[in-house]
Amino acid sequence: MADAQTAISQLNEAFGNAIVGVSDLHGTPVLRLGVKDLPVVAHYIHTHPGLRGALSLLWAVDHRPREARYELCYLFTLSECRDWLLLCTDLQGDDRLFHSITPHIHAAKWYEREIRDMFGLIPQGHPDLRRLVRHEHWPKGTHPLKKDFRWDTVLEQAQGEYAFRRIEGEGVFEVPVGPIHAGIIESGHFRFSVAGEPIMQLEVHHFWKHRGVEKLFEQLRLTDAVPLAERVSGDTTIGHSLAYCQAVETLLGIHVPPRAHYLRSLFLELERLHNHLGDVGAICNDTAYVLAHAHCGRMKERILQLNDQLAGSRFLRGVICVGGVSLNLTDHQVAQVTAELDAIETDFSELERILFANASLTDRLETTGVLNERAAWDHAAIGVVGRASGMDRDIRRDRPFAAYEELQPKIALYRYGDVRARMRVRMDEIHESARLIRDIRARMPQGPALAEPSGAPKPGEWALSAVEGWRGEILYMVMAGEQGQIHRCKVRDPSFVNWPAIQWAVLGNIIPDFPLINKSFNLSYAGNDL
Amino acid sequence: MFRILKKSLKTGVVTGQHPKADAPREPASPEAVQKTKPFTRSLAIREVDTGSCNACEMEMNALANPVYDVERFGVHIAASPRHADALVVTGPVTVNMTRALKDVYEQTPDPKIVIALGDCAINCGMFKGSYAVTGPVERHVPVDVRIPGCPPRPAEILEALAELREGKKP
Repeated sequence: MADAQTAISQLNEAFGNAIVGVSDLHGTPVLRLGVKDLPVVAHYIHTHPGLRGALSLLWAVDHRPREARYELCYLFTLSECRDWLLLCTDLQGDDRLFHSITPHIHAAKWYEREIRDMFGLIPQGHPDLRRLVRHEHWPKGTHPLKKDFRWDTVLEQAQGEYAFRRIEGEGVFEVPVGPIHAGIIESGHFRFSVAGEPIMQLEVHHFWKHRGVEKLFEQLRLTDAVPLAERVSGDTTIGHSLAYCQAVETLLGIHVPPRAHYLRSLFLELERLHNHLGDVGAICNDTAYVLAHAHCGRMKERILQLNDQLAGSRFLRGVICVGGVSLNLTDHQVAQVTAELDAIETDFSELERILFANASLTDRLETTGVLNERAAWDHAAIGVVGRASGMDRDIRRDRPFAAYEELQPKIALYRYGDVRARMRVRMDEIHESARLIRDIRARMPQGPALAEPSGAPKPGEWALSAVEGWRGEILYMVMAGEQGQIHRCKVRDPSFVNWPAIQWAVLGNIIPDFPLINKSFNLSYAGNDL
Repeated sequence: MFRILKKSLKTGVVTGQHPKADAPREPASPEAVQKTKPFTRSLAIREVDTGSCNACEMEMNALANPVYDVERFGVHIAASPRHADALVVTGPVTVNMTRALKDVYEQTPDPKIVIALGDCAINCGMFKGSYAVTGPVERHVPVDVRIPGCPPRPAEILEALAELREGKKP
């Protein structure tokens, strides 16, 4: 099993001349490369049997006004040791071109299109250079994350039409769905090409809800941006605020007290529980099994009401803060939580027995929307979706944060990648979350739950942070600017990675099964669009 | 079968088991109540998300669970704007959703009311001023009812809808 250090020496041997420098960022090795050499090294890391690096994040930074350069960073998770490895390269001065890695690493596709839209940097050799975030009515040359673009610019109107991939032929129809949906669903557009019932192609056309979140972060101070992180994706309030706070704490050199770590894990598991309960119900609902939906909705509501009682917010808003948690639950309150969860778990187990005995439900779920292991790997699928397709990745185990080092969560893993597998992952995680919260109660240390900041970051210093939210891994890259401002904040919700995967999972399925498959992924539109 | 019945009997009726809405809120304007009259206490809602963080959607969805069970009051979610009496709009209106919002308003037959749900729909909330946001809902379509909150609790939405439908003067 190769760890990141042996990987570095291996890369040094193979590409010695290309590597400009090796450094260390809070324990993650950083390799600096020339723009030209990067694709080759990335390809090697991705495909070499000893490394098998999955692309976890790809982002750009505009360093102006301090330095006239753009920086591109590629974060890989090595499959064998689950360590991170970071590749960085610079575009100096007026240089706007870089080499696309998408031809070799499929998972980079949306990232590179995003960088092109937001920074105006052009990934040469990218197979698909249509706009992603900027819709066609945005004027040419609008690149919001460039430093010379004002955050409150009023955009003018241009004309244009998005060119969907077309399948033509006798009996082939296009079915457009959205952006506004029939039901209470977020906005997004799906374009199906069908011949008869089976789906031949699905193209996801999103970013209708783009609110400029990353640019808004840059207008805030490091310590003030938690409320914005909470609103990246409302259903993942804890996941996003925790990931943001961890990055800021690394920058400010804050040591979070142990009790806060445990409380953070507790809140994160509560969030996982209410969302998973809702999803299991919603999956059943889309097979017209309304009874299960009603029961799950009721259980989910119990947790939301519990949240409201504890924190005055059904989504636990304002609970996580830089330095710890603002809500230091009493032992009595923690006992109240576990008592409520015991009741809900018993309730859910009874429902599970009903679900497993239902043959017509199983019939709808099995073999529907299969994302096989190979496709999951190519898309670098993560979270519930990845674990249902054999991707054995969970940040809680791989890069323990909060109290997970001691808690040692068991990871639910299935291989078949169909709707049923995704539901089973959720069901297993519901039980595991309940167990973890009981464990948290048993181990909860006493003491303060909030620490004071102890340092100030230099401009240009940055930190990465990862949290396993209920959907999957949430990544934040926060770079400090002048006087405690944020210079750049890259937000990556797992939805951004998993949306392209859904385009594969639906192939060959019938359109009436699409809502079911979509529900089993249950991705965030807001977190994707930013 | 026996298991299902047993479960239902054991669970009993949960409808209405939620805390009362206590957040301060402006009462529905007499004009809005007047405009709702033609729907004779039933309301078909088309939900339009113009850029919310999805917490408002979560709470709208919660309205349909057995605890709040909004359908018992004759409120239901329409699958097309053509079938809708009311538009519930959530989120600041993004640049990309502006046209869709105007379209859906046009497509909804008169008489109709527009409900701005949540702080973002009312005043853009945290996203005010962003290059990607064109303004609150009322900048693009006339708004009749405002339900503030980030997000408003289901009980609060329920109360606001009840006030509208029954035309109660608070």
